Amino acid sequence: MIDLKELILEKDNLYPLLRKLMKDARLIAPVENEFGDTLFSVIDDIDTTKIDLTNQPQESLKPFFLPQQETVASYTIDEGEYSFTPPPPALQTIFFGVRSCDLTALLYMDLIFSKPVKDATYYDRRNHSLIITLGCNQPFDNCFCEATGSGPYLEYGYGLQFIDLGDCFYVSAGRSKGADLLKKWSYFFREVEEDDQKRRYQLLLEARGQFTKNIQVAHACRKLQKEPVTEEIWEQLSSRCYDCGGCAYVCPTCTCFSVDDTPIDRNSGLRIRSWDACTSSGFTRMTGGDNPIDRSRHALKRRFLHKLKYDFSSHGKASCTGCGRCVDICFGGVDITTFIDLFTKQETV
Amino acid sequence: MTNSIGELVDADVLLITGSNTTETHPQIGRNILEAVDGGAKLLVIDPRKTDIAKQAHIHLALRPGTDIALINAMMRTILDEDLADDLFIAMRTENFIALRDYLHRLNLDELADITGINLDRIREAACIYARSSKSVICYCLGVTQHTCGTANVQAVANLAMLTGNVEKKHSGVDPLRGQNNVQGACDMAALPSVLPGYQNLADNEIRARFEAVWKREIAATPGKSLTEMTHAGKDGAIKAMFIMGENPALSDPHLDPVQETLKHLDFLAVSDIFLTETAQLADVVFPAASFAEKGGTITNSERRVQLCRPAIAPIHNCRPDSHIIMELGKRLGCPGMEFDSDAEIMEEISLLTPIYGGMHYDRLAENFGLQWPCSDRDHPGTEFLHKYYFTRGKGCFTITKHQEPFEKTENEYPFTLVTGRGSYHHFHTATMTRNSKRLVREYPQALLEININDCKKLNLKDGETVELRSKRGAVHITTQITDRVQPGTVFSSFHFFEVPINQLTVDAMDPQSKCPEFKVCSVSLTKVSHD
Repeated sequence: MIDLKELILEKDNLYPLLRKLMKDARLIAPVENEFGDTLFSVIDDIDTTKIDLTNQPQESLKPFFLPQQETVASYTIDEGEYSFTPPPPALQTIFFGVRSCDLTALLYMDLIFSKPVKDATYYDRRNHSLIITLGCNQPFDNCFCEATGSGPYLEYGYGLQFIDLGDCFYVSAGRSKGADLLKKWSYFFREVEEDDQKRRYQLLLEARGQFTKNIQVAHACRKLQKEPVTEEIWEQLSSRCYDCGGCAYVCPTCTCFSVDDTPIDRNSGLRIRSWDACTSSGFTRMTGGDNPIDRSRHALKRRFLHKLKYDFSSHGKASCTGCGRCVDICFGGVDITTFIDLFTKQETV
Repeated sequence: MTNSIGELVDADVLLITGSNTTETHPQIGRNILEAVDGGAKLLVIDPRKTDIAKQAHIHLALRPGTDIALINAMMRTILDEDLADDLFIAMRTENFIALRDYLHRLNLDELADITGINLDRIREAACIYARSSKSVICYCLGVTQHTCGTANVQAVANLAMLTGNVEKKHSGVDPLRGQNNVQGACDMAALPSVLPGYQNLADNEIRARFEAVWKREIAATPGKSLTEMTHAGKDGAIKAMFIMGENPALSDPHLDPVQETLKHLDFLAVSDIFLTETAQLADVVFPAASFAEKGGTITNSERRVQLCRPAIAPIHNCRPDSHIIMELGKRLGCPGMEFDSDAEIMEEISLLTPIYGGMHYDRLAENFGLQWPCSDRDHPGTEFLHKYYFTRGKGCFTITKHQEPFEKTENEYPFTLVTGRGSYHHFHTATMTRNSKRLVREYPQALLEININDCKKLNLKDGETVELRSKRGAVHITTQITDRVQPGTVFSSFHFFEVPINQLTVDAMDPQSKCPEFKVCSVSLTKVSHD
C-alpha cells in the first residue's frame, strides 16, 4: 500500500533539496532569460540560475515528451532490407514548477500515446521523469483551468504537488515516485500543522476567485453533445484563421504529427516525426487534390470538436486544459475561448 | 510607416489598399483585426477578394490600375461633403487650391466608370474615412507596382492630408514593406540616387562627409536602378555584377532580357543561402549565412531598428554578409573594410546618418530596438512622424491624374494578369520556403486564380492545365476556380521556378521609382488538351 504523504518544505530548503536531486537526474524548471521570456530550461548550475515561479512558461511540457521534430529511428537499407535503429535512451529527469494545466495535459498525452500500443520514445521519456507541480495561487490573464477542471490545484496525477504558502511549500505526494522522494530526503521537510492546512485552503479559495475570464467550458461541452454548431459560427471563425498552426503547436494537448523518411544518402536516412496541425488544408488533402475539409469554411471545426466534443464523450473530460496559450498566440483572435463564447450564446436549434 | 504598428489597434478607420495584409503581414493583420474587434471600420481597396477584404465593412474591388481615379473620386466626395480639414490644410500644406480646382473639374460618374465600382460605395467609403480623426491608410505593393506607382502614392498622401489624418497618433500613411529589412536596406542607400539616411547625393557637403570616412571619391551622379541593370541586354554598360540575396532570374519582370543580360556578363558573383536560379548562372557563389547564423540589425516597416544575435554558428563554409563584403572589399583595394564587430559598423552608420544618430548597439541591446529618427544617444526614438512639420516643411498636394496601365487588354490578350504572393506559406521566389516540407505540402504548385464565370465561358475545370500567354512569353499553369478574382482578371504567384510567371509581365516602370508594373499585363488563356 502506497503511503502518500503531505509535508512542509521551508523555502530555504528548496534549492538545497534541488541540488541533491540534480545529482541523479537532470533538473528542468522555468527560467526567465535575458529577453524576459520564461521557458522550461535544463538547470546546469543551481547557484547561478534563478528558477522563475512567477511567470507562465511560454511552452508546456509537450516539447520534452513529443518534440517538435524528433528522429524516431535511423534506418539503413541493405539489398532492399530496412533496418531500424532506435534513438538513444531517455535521461532521468525531474521537472519542477510545472503548472496544473500542463500536468493535466501530460496525463491526456499518456492516454493518446498508450493506444493502440505504447509509443516507445514517448514512454521511455515518461518513465524516466518525475513531475513536481506548482499549484497556481494567481491565475494569469488568459487562464481558465477552473472551467476545464484542470486547476488551479490538482487532486491527482502529479509526482509531487507544491503549494506556495508564502514562507514555505505545502508538498503532497501523488505517486509512489513522489512518496519515495519525500522518504529519501525527509530531513528537509517537517510535518504539516493545522495552520498550514488552513492557509492552503484559503489560498485555493482565493485563487479560484481570481480568474479574469469566465469561459463556460462545461456548458459548451454538454451543449455540443446535444446540438450542432451553426455554419455561420464555423465560417465566421475560419475566415479569420491564418493557418499559422500556432494554436496546435503551442497547445499542450495537441498531439497530431506527421512522419517523414528523410534520406541521408542512398543507403541510409532518418525517420522523423514532427508536429502537424489539423487546421491546415494539407492535413486532410488527398492525393489527387480532393479534400474532405474546406478550410475556408471549416478550418477550426475539427480542432474545437476534438477538444470539446469527442474527447469529452470519450474520456468524460474536455482535453482543453485552460492554459490560455492559444488565446495569446492566435493572429485572428479565433482561439478556443472565442468559440466557446460564440457557441454557448448560439440559440438552441 | 508614419505610425507605429501598435497604433493601428486604436485607429477608428483603417483604409487598406493594395495589401493582402493577413497573408503577407500577419502581425500587422493581427493589429488590424483587433482594431475591427474594438469597433473600427475597415475599408479595403483591392481588385481581389482577399481574406482581409472579406473582413472589410466596404471592399472596393477596383479594376487593376485605377487607384488614382478611385482616390480622386474619394477626395472630390470629401470636398463636396465639406469634410476636408480646412485648418490642417491652411497651416500644414501648400498647393491645395490647384488640387481643389482640379478635383472640381472631374466628373464623378466617369471616375466611377473607370474604376468599375458603384459611385455610392465610393462615396460611402470616402465619408467613413474623412469623418474620423483617427484614420489610417496602409498600403503595399498593390499601390507601388504600377507605371503610375509614384502618382498612386502621392494620391494616397493627398487623401491623408486633405482630411488632416497624418500628424497625430492613430492616423497616418503606412506603407508596409515587402521584406523584413528592405526598410533597412533603403535606409542604408541600397538605392541609386541617395546616400544613407536619404541624404542628397548631389550635395557636395554631405558627400564630403562620407568621403572623409570612406576615404574615396563618391560620384555625384545617380547610379542605375535594378531593372536598368538587369534588363540592359548583352550590350549593357555593366560588365560585372555582384548580386546578394536577390533572385532576379525569377523575381524580375519580363524575364527574357534578364537571362540575356546575366548570361552575357563578363563576371557574375552571387551571395545567397541556397543555390537560386540566379546563383546557378554565377561564376562564383558565396554561401551566405542565414538569419539564424549572423548578427546585425533589421529595420522594419515601423522604422524600428532591432538587434539580432546569431542563434547558432554558421554551418559549414557560409559567412555573414558583412564578412563577405569586407573580404571582397579588401581584395579589391577598398579602404575602410576593417571592422572587428557589428557594433563598430553601426558606429560608422550613426556617425554619418542623422536618422540613425543614436542607434548604438548598447542602446539596442536593452530592448526591442529604437525607431528612427533617433538623432543622438539621448533621443528615445520616434513613435509617429510629422507631428509638427513634414520633412520638407509643409506637405505638398500633387495633382494626380488617372493613367491607364502600360498594357491594355485586346482581342488576342483579353485577360488582365495580376501577380503577387500566392498564399501565407511561400515567400517570393520560395528560396527558403520550398525547403520546408510542411509549407510545400500546404501550397505545392503554382495556381492561376480564375473566376468561375470565365471558366464556364472557356470550358475549364478546376485543376486543369492551361497555357497562359502574353506578348513576351508563355507558361503552363494549373487553374484554381475562385471568387477571389473578378471576371476578366486572373492572378498568379511568382514562387515557382517551373512556372516563371515573370516571363509574361511587362518591364515598363514608374519613371521616378523605377518600380516595374508587376500588377497589370494582358494575357490569353488556352486550354491545353491532353487527348
